[in-house]
Amino acid sequence: MTSPKTARRLNRILGMLPWVIANPGATVDEVCERFGYSRGQLLADLDLVFVCGLPGYGPGDLMVAYVDEDEVVVEMADYFAAPLRLTPPEALSLLASGMALVSSGQAPPALERAVDKLTAIVLPDGGDALSVDLSEPAFVGELRRAAADGTVVRIVYTALAGAQTTTRDIEPWAVFSTMGNWYVSAHCRLAAAERLFRIDRIRSVTPTEERFTPPANPPPPIVAYTPSDSDVQAVIALGPRARWVVDYYPVEILSEDPVRDEVTVRFSTSDASVAARLLLRLGDNARLVAGEEVGEKLSELRRRIRARYAR
Amino acid sequence: MQKVIERILNLLAFLLTAERPVTADEIRTTVAGYQQAGDDAWRRMFERDKDLLRRLGIPLELRPTDAWEVEHGYVVPADDYALPDPGLTDEERAALWLAAQVVRIGGQPPGPDALFKLGGAPLTASGEPLAADLGTQADDLAEAFAAVSERRTLRFGYRGTPRTLLPYGLVHRRGHWYVVGPEKRAQDTIKAFRLDRTEGLAATGTSESFTRPEGFRAADAIPEAPWQAGEEDVVATVHFDAAMAWWARRQLTAGATVTENDDGSLEATITVANPEAFIGWILAFDDHAVILSPPELRERLLARVGAA
Repeated sequence: MTSPKTARRLNRILGMLPWVIANPGATVDEVCERFGYSRGQLLADLDLVFVCGLPGYGPGDLMVAYVDEDEVVVEMADYFAAPLRLTPPEALSLLASGMALVSSGQAPPALERAVDKLTAIVLPDGGDALSVDLSEPAFVGELRRAAADGTVVRIVYTALAGAQTTTRDIEPWAVFSTMGNWYVSAHCRLAAAERLFRIDRIRSVTPTEERFTPPANPPPPIVAYTPSDSDVQAVIALGPRARWVVDYYPVEILSEDPVRDEVTVRFSTSDASVAARLLLRLGDNARLVAGEEVGEKLSELRRRIRARYAR
Repeated sequence: MQKVIERILNLLAFLLTAERPVTADEIRTTVAGYQQAGDDAWRRMFERDKDLLRRLGIPLELRPTDAWEVEHGYVVPADDYALPDPGLTDEERAALWLAAQVVRIGGQPPGPDALFKLGGAPLTASGEPLAADLGTQADDLAEAFAAVSERRTLRFGYRGTPRTLLPYGLVHRRGHWYVVGPEKRAQDTIKAFRLDRTEGLAATGTSESFTRPEGFRAADAIPEAPWQAGEEDVVATVHFDAAMAWWARRQLTAGATVTENDDGSLEATITVANPEAFIGWILAFDDHAVILSPPELRERLLARVGAA
């Protein structure tokens, strides 16, 4: 297979040529800025174009490409006057990310116009065939602003486990969305540690007068699980309809049983009730193989819910 | 690298101007860069070059050279090669570029290749943090999107059953991608399939093999709440304790009727199309939510909870 570097260079040439043909008189600097070229790279590509063309390969068959008084000149290359169409991954990437930003209400008007124009050429017969909804819950805007200008905010937070509600001052670092949920990563002054908060579980946000200095190297905004020695462990067997757990939780696959169509995983968590609640939700589709603490939590959860329904 | 690019520019120039199918032999003897190679080297070189053209998105087709179809030759149809001019301004191009840096698919931000095809733009390197991630299944997504935009049928397995879908649309909602459309064997019902649950997804058949109904909106096929995606029709009444009422309110959709009691707790009447998903949602409230009616739904929840 040809190297990706060759493909990228060729792609840039096939993008640069139509633009230069359509914009006669463009300077070297303009072309370089627009296509991310250094001066040397552009000159090398023009030299390369100069020796290519149509069979015969004599003067009159080859393309003409050179720099004249700092203007880029391309002639005899009309067959490369049209830009190359986008591949499906390229079109999807541009459209989906554009639509996502528009749906979040964070987009400048230029992006909305760009998405409409691009949709019209990529999906000419069905502009509504692609839809990306990244609507933001309450407080995303406030938290994003606080992260940007380094404002300490006071939040009221209910981490669902046990439905305990706490008030804490946090130094918000980054706001992001993944797997359909919005999160803010922050230094939590109550915990005196780095914490990740699900924004839909924040009940109120109040900016304080205080400012903080963001860390020089904040951790990447991802939902990552950091194992620790105090973790609770459980071994869980997942049936076919519970297999999705493997993709959604940081589990370690222990074994697969093709006969029963089960996969057995080790589930580590800082809070046994997280695993218990998951098992409850999965019902018959999963079973706890080992993990005393999780088993106790699960029994307790079952008892509480049964008691509630017995009233 | 230089030689490869020269050869491919020559090949492409030849194909774009030939206006007829040209055979591999003709390419070998005509296009500069191939003549010196021996038989094996030529074949390898040509295969690699065709692969590179296709990767860049250049349509390369094999067509008969004459009515008797004895010989076949290569064609790059000019209409399929060219990108119709979307008429973007520099500001609009830069906005698209920035969006693709902030909202990612498959983890990595895209390179500027797509933007160069659109005419490039003065770019500022962006230090913006990753603001949103639209999922990691970039390959399946690209395949599904290609099928949607080219209107080709899509085959995949879903919960163990093989499906053939006319993909009318593609929707991202609540963190998941859905491919939307009717199954080929029952074209009256529009269905939505979660992309991450499909297996062996592949576009098949020819392009433009179906027509979307007038005014079709893919987003309409995805219900607002997971419990609205299903075949059943149950009206449930639920009590939410005051402590968790705020969280219930945030998730209840427009269709639900909600009354607040004096103590801050809620009674909600909710139409449920997917009881399994609904029970899963109610269980997320621990013992702070109780299904009051109908009795069958209460029983189903207790069956899921199991014995203490």
